[in-house]
Amino acid sequence: MDFNALILFMVFSAVLSYLVSKSNIKLGAYSTILFSLISLIILFLGRNNIGNEFSLLYMNFRVTAIGWYFSLIMILIYSMTAFFNPYWMEKILYPSSYNFLYLFSLAATVGLFFAADLITLFIFWEVVVWSSTFIVPLGKSRKAAVVYFTISSIGSMATLFAIMFVYSKSGTFDINEAFKFLASEPLTATFVFFTFITAGLTKIGIFPFHIWLPLAHGNAPHTFSPVLSGGLVKMGAFIAYLSVGILPAYKAFSTSMTIMGIPFQIYLLMVLGAISIVVGTLMAIKQDDVKKLIAYSSVANGGYILIGILMMDQVTFAGSLMHIFNHAIASAAAFLTIAAIAHRTKTTKISELGGMIHKMPVSYVVYLISIISLAGIPPMGGFVSKWLIVQGLASKGLIFIAFAAFFGSIGSFLYVFRPLAGLFLGQLAPKYENIKPSTLVMKIPMVILASMSVFFGIFPKYLLETIGEIQTSIGIDPIMINGDTITTINGVLNTNKVAAIFGFGFVISLMIFLVLPKSRKVGLMDTYTSAEFIYTPELYHYANSFYAPFERLYKNHPSVEKFLGKFAVKTEELGILVNSLFFSHKPSVTVLWVMAIATLIFLGGVDI
Amino acid sequence: MKIISNNSKTDKEDMRKIWEKIGDYFRANSIWMKWYCTGCGAIELPPTMTSRFDMERLGMGPMATPRQADVLLITGYLSSKTLRRIIYSYEQMQDPKYVVGFGSCTINGGIYYDSYATMKQLDNYLPVDLYIAGCMPRPEAVMNGFDTLISMIKKGEANGWKHYKENYDWYSRNQLHSLGEVYVKDEFHE
Amino acid sequence: MNIMNFIYAFLLLVFVFLFQTSITGINRKVMARLQRRRGPKWYQQFIDIFKAMSKSSTTHGWIFDFGVIMALGGIMATTILIPIGPFKAFADVDNIFIVSYLLAVGMLGMAMSASGSGNPWASIGVSRALTNMLAYDVPFMVLIVSFIYAFKTSSLSGFAALQQGAGILGWNFFRFPLGGIVALICLQGMLGKKPFDSFIAPAEIASGPMVEYGGRHLGMLFLLHEFSTFIEVSIIVHIFFGGGATPLEFMVKYALLYTFMNIISGVFPRFKIDQAVKFYYKVPLALAFIQGLIIIFTGLGVS
Repeated sequence: MDFNALILFMVFSAVLSYLVSKSNIKLGAYSTILFSLISLIILFLGRNNIGNEFSLLYMNFRVTAIGWYFSLIMILIYSMTAFFNPYWMEKILYPSSYNFLYLFSLAATVGLFFAADLITLFIFWEVVVWSSTFIVPLGKSRKAAVVYFTISSIGSMATLFAIMFVYSKSGTFDINEAFKFLASEPLTATFVFFTFITAGLTKIGIFPFHIWLPLAHGNAPHTFSPVLSGGLVKMGAFIAYLSVGILPAYKAFSTSMTIMGIPFQIYLLMVLGAISIVVGTLMAIKQDDVKKLIAYSSVANGGYILIGILMMDQVTFAGSLMHIFNHAIASAAAFLTIAAIAHRTKTTKISELGGMIHKMPVSYVVYLISIISLAGIPPMGGFVSKWLIVQGLASKGLIFIAFAAFFGSIGSFLYVFRPLAGLFLGQLAPKYENIKPSTLVMKIPMVILASMSVFFGIFPKYLLETIGEIQTSIGIDPIMINGDTITTINGVLNTNKVAAIFGFGFVISLMIFLVLPKSRKVGLMDTYTSAEFIYTPELYHYANSFYAPFERLYKNHPSVEKFLGKFAVKTEELGILVNSLFFSHKPSVTVLWVMAIATLIFLGGVDI
Repeated sequence: MKIISNNSKTDKEDMRKIWEKIGDYFRANSIWMKWYCTGCGAIELPPTMTSRFDMERLGMGPMATPRQADVLLITGYLSSKTLRRIIYSYEQMQDPKYVVGFGSCTINGGIYYDSYATMKQLDNYLPVDLYIAGCMPRPEAVMNGFDTLISMIKKGEANGWKHYKENYDWYSRNQLHSLGEVYVKDEFHE
Repeated sequence: MNIMNFIYAFLLLVFVFLFQTSITGINRKVMARLQRRRGPKWYQQFIDIFKAMSKSSTTHGWIFDFGVIMALGGIMATTILIPIGPFKAFADVDNIFIVSYLLAVGMLGMAMSASGSGNPWASIGVSRALTNMLAYDVPFMVLIVSFIYAFKTSSLSGFAALQQGAGILGWNFFRFPLGGIVALICLQGMLGKKPFDSFIAPAEIASGPMVEYGGRHLGMLFLLHEFSTFIEVSIIVHIFFGGGATPLEFMVKYALLYTFMNIISGVFPRFKIDQAVKFYYKVPLALAFIQGLIIIFTGLGVS
């Protein structure tokens, strides 16, 4: 099927879903599942469309390999999350609009990835921003939507400016042609590079634009957070790719100062990526709300993705593209499990939960697999991509960036473990004694996403071959993969072998466990308490400020939010001052102005 | 009150299977203790543990929790408040487990024999495998006592934990009788 | 990869268990002599492990069991990756990043199981252990990155091979003394020995993550401890002390290094966890960066 028809189908399905929801809300929610799944199938089977060009209503599209890859991730996340929509229809203020915007933003992202000219790109970008802006306040907070929209606008406006600037110089909007002239003009290229990539930075949540993520992800409806974190954030990665891949950044900056072989302009952004990793990690460690915690982890992972894309080389770029996929599915799965828990318990605060494993074992296993993948531990997918990124950084000798990468990687053990211990493990509060496990429809997407994490961790070739084709299509060396052996300059990784060894170790361990004497099952409250008698499970649960000694070390940290807050207060004060000076009805102010003008007249001798 | 002697030597050692004998060898040579140190006897344990007497050379050592420990060492007098907690700790230990009463207080109340709050006889409540007499026993006596315990375990004679299971009703009745009614009153329950 | 590899792997596990447990036993003796005691028998550690396994145990639900199995499984799998001198069970898997991340499976499994017991002390211990990990791993990894950049290899046997043939002065420990010091400080943290053992702290948090384990679980965790000690010390022996041209050479170096670390541990008190983090981010991290910059920009000691 032609992708021309795909985009039209997706737009119409959004309208159709709105109409269906108007008559029957539940049916409308189910229609979002159906339509997004159909789109997923069409896109997946339509791989031979790569290279096609088509236009629709003055908008030009070109199906590229990387665009297809990004669209696939996006529709996958949307369709999997859609399974949760039916359960949130009663809780959302305007369910039919939600369904419409849900599918409409999906259609727009696909249009964005296939855009052949900059105006099409910008239009679809704005459509995504607007539709998600309207979805976010359907959750808990309106302020979140305002912050989200403001930060997005900063990015959009900078990018629009870059687009118009490029057009005025080159006279074309075509993505491949418009940037070509920059290769010989390093100064202009620097300017365009920084303005154009801003939209990407805001969307990935790179420091200092990261402040919208925890607010928007934390407060969006539980069914939309996975999409925001797993899907929409990745649009920023696409813009970042356009800024270094299509905009010939490395060619244009070939004369500028380099740091370890990287032009300083690009290095600067990599440092921002590194700061995002550190800031995201440190902030994630101290969050009590799981959704905010995963949002900050998205900030940190966005840093990895940005660094990898900016390298534009054989290994790190491949790792980064793979990390986009792995982070998308793992983060979406993690958010979905939290949504499944919030569906039953009505809270996402770690300190209010505990012992959920005894009530929702499937959610627990899915969460475990996805956080193992997020933390980059074998045999999950996240390990392969982080391994590639780290290998790439090591081969270039970028130790300061590598420091951030390792800090984020080991720090992620800390923050992923916090919900694991506080929310799933530990004591079960008596008020949750009778909650039911998540429904079957909810389990489907969670299990699919988790098994994908495992599958691509053991057989990464299916993903890396596609990535290799993308690399060939944009003119860099493809990642070397032979069977399941990935080869880089510094080392080889055979994921099959690692998985087999892990399996072997596990089997031996299981056998040791089974031959030893049987255990007796005891309750959770039958633990060593220094022989003190305790009757209150809630109070006997260690979940509040889990890393207290570590958090204390950076509790007085400077923060962008505080700075912006102060800035806002100062601006408001200035506004009040102006208001009281010029727009006041108080006689004293009038007298003041009369006096001032009179003084001026007398002094200057102005003739009125 | 019926008193059940738990030192009755039966011919159980002949009935031990070969792996039980091996297990007893390991257990005899690696004795980890949970010290219940409310009484004054605890002061004798640091010298027993450190350079002079060095209990580690027999494979003995202190452990932090009852789950890991083999021996519950009750050093000194028991009050009715601590009894509850000792029973709780004892029941958290893993089989096979041994109880050692340390000092005269655990045998007959010692110098607190006439106190209303003191438990006079430990083996009414828990199956004591070994008493170490003295007020307090010196490290030499402690080491001597543990030497006896080791040989008892090796021979399969330290069967207090089995005895406790078999006669749980009797122990339970005694425990409840002494504890009386337990009022739950702590910082969480006002 | 065929059946022989797995048989070798199994033999390697058995060997490591016997070797490392004996070394631990001998080190208990060494520690006792340091404190002017006689000390236990050299095979005391075996007795302790088998005794724990022979006892009954309690479980707090399936995750409590599963975590222990996953932990021991992950650590044993990591042990298989480690080359002993020239001997390797599997070719091409001794990449330092694979080793250090696969090691994390075991850590995560144990942390999960400990928290799954429902005992807050276990969770406190886990939170300290993870914080400790964030402290010691980052300086070490920064160092490793600069080594990989310099030597164009990231496999343990590759690092070892590059140091062999030039005598003792060819060892990375002497070619990069700053890095060597950082590695030893980080090893002390990895092993969880004093002064970085606040996550076990028996008198304070009742042995932290271990608080609820008894019987077979405890026995398996002792095994886990032996294996993970072997992995951690081996990494340093391979990267900084030239590995071993023969298995015997490797074992001798290993035993000496482990004993040295243990003696250091014997004379130190304990850091609070935040003090440990502060220390690691002040001294070793700065030294690691200095060493890294020296390697990358001057190449001093590389060739």
